[in-house]
Amino acid sequence: MRMEWWILLSAYAVGLGLLFFLPKNKIRMAVVAILFKQVITFLLGLVVVEMGMLEYPVRLFASVSRTSFTYEYYFFPIICAIFIVYFPNDHRSIWIKMGYYVGYTSILTICEVMIEEYTELIEYIHWEWYVTWITVCLSFYFTRLFCLWFFMKGGFHIKTKERAGD
Amino acid sequence: MLMEHWFLIAMWLLGFVGFILLIKRKDRRKGFLALMVFQSIVWLCDMPAFTYGLLSAPVREFPKATDLPLTINYFFYPVLFSIFYVHKRVTRSLWSQFIYFFVWITMITFFDIVIERYTNLLEYGILTWYGMWIYIGFLFCVSLVCCNWFFKDKSLERLGS
Repeated sequence: MRMEWWILLSAYAVGLGLLFFLPKNKIRMAVVAILFKQVITFLLGLVVVEMGMLEYPVRLFASVSRTSFTYEYYFFPIICAIFIVYFPNDHRSIWIKMGYYVGYTSILTICEVMIEEYTELIEYIHWEWYVTWITVCLSFYFTRLFCLWFFMKGGFHIKTKERAGD
Repeated sequence: MLMEHWFLIAMWLLGFVGFILLIKRKDRRKGFLALMVFQSIVWLCDMPAFTYGLLSAPVREFPKATDLPLTINYFFYPVLFSIFYVHKRVTRSLWSQFIYFFVWITMITFFDIVIERYTNLLEYGILTWYGMWIYIGFLFCVSLVCCNWFFKDKSLERLGS
């Protein structure tokens, strides 16, 4: 089997493993984070491929989709759920929060650049690493905004413990 | 402009207006969640459905990037499901809940068949009209179970018992 398929397979395994790190009392918050992240990646993933900025030569459902199903539907949303659920609470300083954003975004970007360099899972055409960095960071931010709104005090909450930022 | 494009514009407009007018402010979160759940499930199920030629979408929004229809999968049917979910009443009898469900999936199947017959937005391959009816029923059912779990709605357990 080609290395690319092993990477895809391990993405599914790692994603599944990460799900076990979600605390039970924040499962619903993780679900909202995953679903909202999919709303973003579903549309933007299609736009960038349609405009010819990126290519995914090796991919799942290759005959019907030219985007990366594994990353956009599964892996990235799960990472985002972990990001949201473990977000440092409101009392921490702004620097810690910014560091948290920078840390997650940078690790994902470094992984993507390495995958681009050494495998055929993704090819940059009119794309740069910093575009990945900025878009990933913004998508984390918007997902967090949505989760804050969704679990806002006085709005919907099943258990108060599930509020974002607690 | 092709007739298909008018259909797409109409779906976006109707979807937005429907979501804003038919879902009350206090149900907005419920509506959004139902929309996102349906979107996620239809995305997952349509991948194999299109791969194995159950249906296809000759005229679509991103012809290069995907063979799936974006407006229908990403927006229009999820909005319809969200309106269905927000307006369903768990206090009603089993029969009226069943009828509510069947009326909705039948209406959507009918709409789907009209689109298939009169436009190139959808083209059934192996799928028949009753196959589509079952498929939409299945998508609604799975999404309903997921949403009910999220909101801890016990109506479905009662339906099953």
